[in-house]
Amino acid sequence: MQELFLTLTQDEWAIRALIASSLVGIMCGTIGSFIVLRNMSLIGDALAHAILPGIFIAFILVGYSTIGFFLGSVMAGLLTAVIITWIQHNVKTKNDAAIGIVFTAMFSIGVIGISKVSTGDGVHLDLKDFLFGTVLGISNEDIYLTLAITIYSIISIIIFYRYLFITTFQPTIAQTMGISVKMIHYFLMLLLSFAVVSSLRAVGVILVVAMLITPASTALLLSDKLKNVIILSGIIGLLSAVLGLILAISLGGGIAPGPTMCVTATLLYFIAVVFSPKKGLLTKFILRRKQKSKIEQEDIIKHLIKNRKEKINIASVSSALGLSVNVVKKHVKKLATDGVVNQNGNQLMLSIKGNESGDSLVRAHRLWETYLVDEVGLEEGQIHTEAEKYEHILTEEDLDEVDKHLGFPTKDPHGSPIPQKQIKPANPLLKLKLKSRARIAKQQITEHIESELWELGLTPNMEFRIFKIGDDHIVLKTSDKKIKVNEELARQINVLI
Amino acid sequence: MAGEKTISVSGLSVSYERKRVLYNIYLELEAGNIYGVVGPNGAGKSTLFKSILELIDTSSGEIEVFGKDVNEVRKRLAYVPQKDEVDWNFPATVRDIVLMGRYPHKKILQRLNKEDNDIAMQAMEDIGISDLANRQIGELSGGQQQRVFIARALCQQADIFFLDEPFVGVDITTEEKIIQILKDLASQNKTLLVVHHDLSSVDEYFNKVILLNQRLIAYGDTETTFTKENIAKAYGPQLTILHKTGLFE
Repeated sequence: MQELFLTLTQDEWAIRALIASSLVGIMCGTIGSFIVLRNMSLIGDALAHAILPGIFIAFILVGYSTIGFFLGSVMAGLLTAVIITWIQHNVKTKNDAAIGIVFTAMFSIGVIGISKVSTGDGVHLDLKDFLFGTVLGISNEDIYLTLAITIYSIISIIIFYRYLFITTFQPTIAQTMGISVKMIHYFLMLLLSFAVVSSLRAVGVILVVAMLITPASTALLLSDKLKNVIILSGIIGLLSAVLGLILAISLGGGIAPGPTMCVTATLLYFIAVVFSPKKGLLTKFILRRKQKSKIEQEDIIKHLIKNRKEKINIASVSSALGLSVNVVKKHVKKLATDGVVNQNGNQLMLSIKGNESGDSLVRAHRLWETYLVDEVGLEEGQIHTEAEKYEHILTEEDLDEVDKHLGFPTKDPHGSPIPQKQIKPANPLLKLKLKSRARIAKQQITEHIESELWELGLTPNMEFRIFKIGDDHIVLKTSDKKIKVNEELARQINVLI
Repeated sequence: MAGEKTISVSGLSVSYERKRVLYNIYLELEAGNIYGVVGPNGAGKSTLFKSILELIDTSSGEIEVFGKDVNEVRKRLAYVPQKDEVDWNFPATVRDIVLMGRYPHKKILQRLNKEDNDIAMQAMEDIGISDLANRQIGELSGGQQQRVFIARALCQQADIFFLDEPFVGVDITTEEKIIQILKDLASQNKTLLVVHHDLSSVDEYFNKVILLNQRLIAYGDTETTFTKENIAKAYGPQLTILHKTGLFE
């Protein structure tokens, strides 16, 4: 460990490799976001493989030279792009096949050429270094070049951000706004070939594509905003490159850094696949569990409401709904703490609140059935299962919309009544807890309620205390008497707290 | 100036792979109007939009917008395409998309500023999606997604609006809201073109109508142009559709 630290901080070759890898990681990560979003992964891979013959030719012409390799690679990359485009436009070959044909051929020519020259005496041209990167072979020139290209890429992404964004998201709209989609495409291809060429020493041509697409795909799992995706992708690229390099050095034995970087990037990717807060498998799993519990609990409420007149206990719920006794027990416990279900010895009963949510479930089910028959045109026999599913998903607002759309129907397709949505008072009497104090509000939802109150002897601003909460009624205590109010009315009476 | 000529199309023809889509279209459109573009499937309604916007190659014909080539006046045009091949998983929020409407107003090094943000917020509010501003676009319902694109067009503050079936998947309340906004724009002397399918609402929504079926069947004031005879000419054998609209008893 200590040795590794010393190597990384004191050996010049290691420091050079560290700097170059960091730059490559950042650059590939940022550019990679656009490559992934524009479905250009294959083109990225192709460009990377295709630069090999450029290196071979540059070596023949000018010998071992960073600038020579750079220019040779860019030329080879551009030539590849031109040939691919030509085939796509003039020959009846599928687009991706055209890419595959050209880049494998270019790559092969490069492999043959470099193998041939590297067998000569005193030549430091190792094919493996170009394929998988090298820790030892990074020169100062390589670093300067990579630094220049990284800065150039980042600045141009900042400047052209809007154009990149809109041409990637909706090219037609960009076009109507007078933004040249083609120009942006070529510009990105140029950036891509720069990125590929400068990654040559650190990662090698075969695995550059991993540095382009893996960190970007990881970032896309972590954020929903393009700006954040680009920044995150750069950071993840940096991490992958640096950790990968350290792994390669510490493993020793001449392991090339390309594969270790790729493995690190992939590892980070899978961590995101599982743990991403919004899109991870774990989150989905937890959500699904919650949803399942919610559905089961709602089914229990519905069961209780349908069998209002019978004696229901945990065992009978369990057999009626096909849930295990333990599961039902767990749900009932939760429903009891939420104040939805009352346990009277063995017997389960819905509280006033429970009845309310039961009604809204039945309303959801029946409204949705009505919708499916009236609007979608399904037959009566087809709708129950569908409605059974959607009654748990539709929100109150959705339902109000459906209700309004259907013209507030009173009966479902089977002829059963649809519970009507109540106009709710701001502070219903029903919501008050035992022993709490309140006053009768002046504002009631209807005149009918006002006259009901009058008959009970409850006048506006009269103070009272909740004396008892029964199964279907509430008892109020005013200064001089006790008044029993039934549940239905209590739901509609507005009070001031 | 009301009645100002905004778009003029003369002798426009378009073919796709030797199949004729539009043939010899002549149109003169004026500011301050909402044009309903109506015709059966395959009548070339979307193609007409794309030709005017120069998104596709035309076989022949001249198109002028504000008396100029369209490329010189792009800033003044807003387009709401059919809700087609958009990648709904794209990392973009509603606000990001609406703000795109400000892009044509910006020079290359200019950043979007507070004013742009305010205009975008106003557009979202007008169309009732301001509470969705920070949502990723894939999390919206179909109708809400459609509204995002309309908000972007509003945010663009253009002079001519091309809307290709903007009411698909939109609920009736929102549809009425949108048409009200479009009518307001027309009264501010904008030109609006709307591809529309529901024949029963044409006379209520549009003061002008363009009836199309590869050829131009008729265009002009809805009252005098949207007649049984012209509709029959445009739809030909597809008359069954018309019976549903109640225009044919």
